[in-house]
Amino acid sequence: MSRRRSPGQVLGRVGLVLLALPALAAVFAPLVARHSPQRPSGRPLLKPSLGHPLGTDDLGVDIFSQLVYGSRISLAIGLGAAVLAIVVGVLVAVLAGWRRGWVETVLMRLTDVTLAFPFLPLVLVLAAFFGRGLLVTAIVIGAVSWARPARVLWAQVLKLREYPHVQAARAMGATGSRCIVRHILTRLIPVTSAQFVRVANAAIISEAALAFLGLGDPNHASWGMMLANASSNNALLTGAWKWWMVPPGLALTVVVLGFAFTGYASEEWADPRLASPTGRLRFLGRRRRRPAPAPQTAAGAPATGPILSVKDLVVHYDRHGPAVVKGVGFDAPRERVTALVGESGSGKSTIVLALLGLLPGDPLVKGGATFEGRKLLSAAAAARVRGRKIGFVTQAAMNALNPAYTIHFQVAEAAALTMPIGEARRRAGELLENVGLPAEDHGAYPHELSGGMRQRVVIAMALANRPDLLIADEPTTGLDLVTQASILKLLGDLKDQLGLTVLLITHDVQMVLRVADELVILQDGCVVEQGSVATVAADPQQEYTRRLLNTRLSPLAVKV
Amino acid sequence: MLVLAVAIVLNFALPRLAPGDPIDFLIPAEQANRVTPEQREALASAYGLDGSTGQQFVLYLKNLAKGDLGTSTRYGAPVRELLADRLPWTLLLVGTSVVLSMLIGAALGFRSAWRRGSGSDVRTLTGVMVLDSFPPFFVALLLVLVFSVQLRLLPVFGALPGSDAQGLEFALEVARRAILPIAALTLSGIGSAFLVARSAAVTELGEDYVTMAAAKGLDGAGVRRHARRNALVPVWTVGMLNVGALFGGAAPVETVFAYPGLGRLIYESVLSRDYPVLQGAFLLIAAGVIAANLIAELVYPYLDPRVRRPGAVGS
Repeated sequence: MSRRRSPGQVLGRVGLVLLALPALAAVFAPLVARHSPQRPSGRPLLKPSLGHPLGTDDLGVDIFSQLVYGSRISLAIGLGAAVLAIVVGVLVAVLAGWRRGWVETVLMRLTDVTLAFPFLPLVLVLAAFFGRGLLVTAIVIGAVSWARPARVLWAQVLKLREYPHVQAARAMGATGSRCIVRHILTRLIPVTSAQFVRVANAAIISEAALAFLGLGDPNHASWGMMLANASSNNALLTGAWKWWMVPPGLALTVVVLGFAFTGYASEEWADPRLASPTGRLRFLGRRRRRPAPAPQTAAGAPATGPILSVKDLVVHYDRHGPAVVKGVGFDAPRERVTALVGESGSGKSTIVLALLGLLPGDPLVKGGATFEGRKLLSAAAAARVRGRKIGFVTQAAMNALNPAYTIHFQVAEAAALTMPIGEARRRAGELLENVGLPAEDHGAYPHELSGGMRQRVVIAMALANRPDLLIADEPTTGLDLVTQASILKLLGDLKDQLGLTVLLITHDVQMVLRVADELVILQDGCVVEQGSVATVAADPQQEYTRRLLNTRLSPLAVKV
Repeated sequence: MLVLAVAIVLNFALPRLAPGDPIDFLIPAEQANRVTPEQREALASAYGLDGSTGQQFVLYLKNLAKGDLGTSTRYGAPVRELLADRLPWTLLLVGTSVVLSMLIGAALGFRSAWRRGSGSDVRTLTGVMVLDSFPPFFVALLLVLVFSVQLRLLPVFGALPGSDAQGLEFALEVARRAILPIAALTLSGIGSAFLVARSAAVTELGEDYVTMAAAKGLDGAGVRRHARRNALVPVWTVGMLNVGALFGGAAPVETVFAYPGLGRLIYESVLSRDYPVLQGAFLLIAAGVIAANLIAELVYPYLDPRVRRPGAVGS
């Protein structure tokens, strides 16, 4: 079983190889280059020969030697400036983030101002005033680059200090400095290293630019200076660019690329979300298609049998991973509320996402599922019913609305799938009224509404196209008790009004007992018991069900 | 505002903090040995360097308020006029290349994000990072090599045509001379726009509203529109940051093309030790950064309703 590497891991390796080249050149420069990089070793402007592999410059200095020794300058400046900037940055970040108060205000203000200055002009002006030595260049670049690491690390410190174990350590009287070292500094390492690579990279480019503009150390030919020299000697016109310009230019590119690749890898390390394999969302790629002619269940003739039927459903998050849902089967009878109940991790949300074709990445879904007698598990079939025949209220509905659009727009957008836009707008207004949002709120953006109101909007969205089945995944998560009760009441009323079938996913047993008709108990990706609420609640057959039903600790005793 | 204040103070302090007598910075390097003590004193009083530090600072602020940035030691012309001559050219280069690199970078970045983890995503990511690793002035040199030296298609130097072309012909000549510098700056700017657009879009794709958008029946294009709308905010921010950075950051590229922009002016001033011009350019660049930030702030409300109508219930 070979696990696929993330792009960052691959790029990181390539980056290290790229960096090894100039690093080796820098260390073994005297062995590699036979001539001095400073004193003339031949006639000026020689073409490449065995003695001078890249010829000589306008003073007769060997270009190959300059190239090899130039790696020392680039790396020294890059690493030197980065060490300086990171040390200052970490100090500022930890001091500001740990002490808070006026220290933080002053330090972060200073950081913001430094950040606001354009990098290269500031370096240019500072370098112009303070001279051209290598050390000065490194210090100037470092002095200008500490602000970004300081800002990023400061945000990280603020986050870390709110972590429970850090708070606990502080509450138990751990002294500041021990706390900082044990809990903060060690955890800052990934982010710090990502910033280090960034600064080093920027420092190398800046040094090259400075040297190219004639502000480099005149005693040490760096790559930027070689390019400037070649340029002022008209290497472009004489053809000397082939050995005088391309090598130092490419050398710069290789070092910068090496740092960029390792930087990308270290940023993945610092922020694992970037590397997570939840990569592709298959529903993104599909071409626009006309809404398929609705597969009408012969009008008038009452459809019979369960509206949704699932058999032996097996789901792997990815092809090589273990099964998360292990052969689940259940039916959702018409116009009833069926509840999928289980602890978090029991696979209940996964089942629904798989049915609707919304699982991210490259999942493996086996088994059978039919909706209104038609097969459901293909991507095309799921896309046909999604939003049209099956309405879905997602988990964590607090964030299920796009912050950039008004709620009316978001409901109308859903309705417009099956009706002309004018009608869709009217319907959106009606729906929002229906779920209890007065007309003056319809132009609101999600952030202007409370959690309960947002949840109502999501329900309105799910109902936009008069679905036959409504799937609600933990519809009351994150809401206060009174709001939970009112959302449940709304769902119940809508069900009766519209003759909906509801599939309710929850871990809240109290909620189930009040609204559900049918019960499917899940544990670890398997169904352990199912039946009508009355039978199962009265006489649970399984120990697990009994335990689940006995968790009456839930304080949801509010009656509506 | 604070930035401008710091820039002013820094401008005042730098020549005084730097090693050596500030007057040395006012004397053109080639004349340094021939200046008599009397001349030095005359210079000192002319530039307000003879009072106490406090008096000097007040005088400096007064002159600044009058728009007097001093006199170039090299050209003998007021710094303000020199800057006013160069600014339009830099605006032309920087404005065009930032818009282009933002558009190209964002388009590629979003495209990569939708295909996250696929071969085409990894190829684009690698390609853009390689492109981004070429130092801007090296890109400029390569462009000159290919288009001017080898193909002889485009002129290399300056911004204005030598002949006295009129009207449309003049505009065309100016455009021909701007193509290569703009191309060099655009190519070097694509990388940051790409990376920001890609990671912003990837972050947005992980949000619940994207799943919800798909769940309510939108097709791929509809769902992408939802994510893109929110990913635009960071792309815009970085774009405006780039405007600030490029204001003086274009110096190496302008130098390659001998383009008479601000960056080139800074370069010339550094070489001739023309410190008043250097300070004036620095101040102007700081003002440019502030202007870019201001524009960014003015546009935020249109991009993000949470900025437009704050003060909400809930989280």
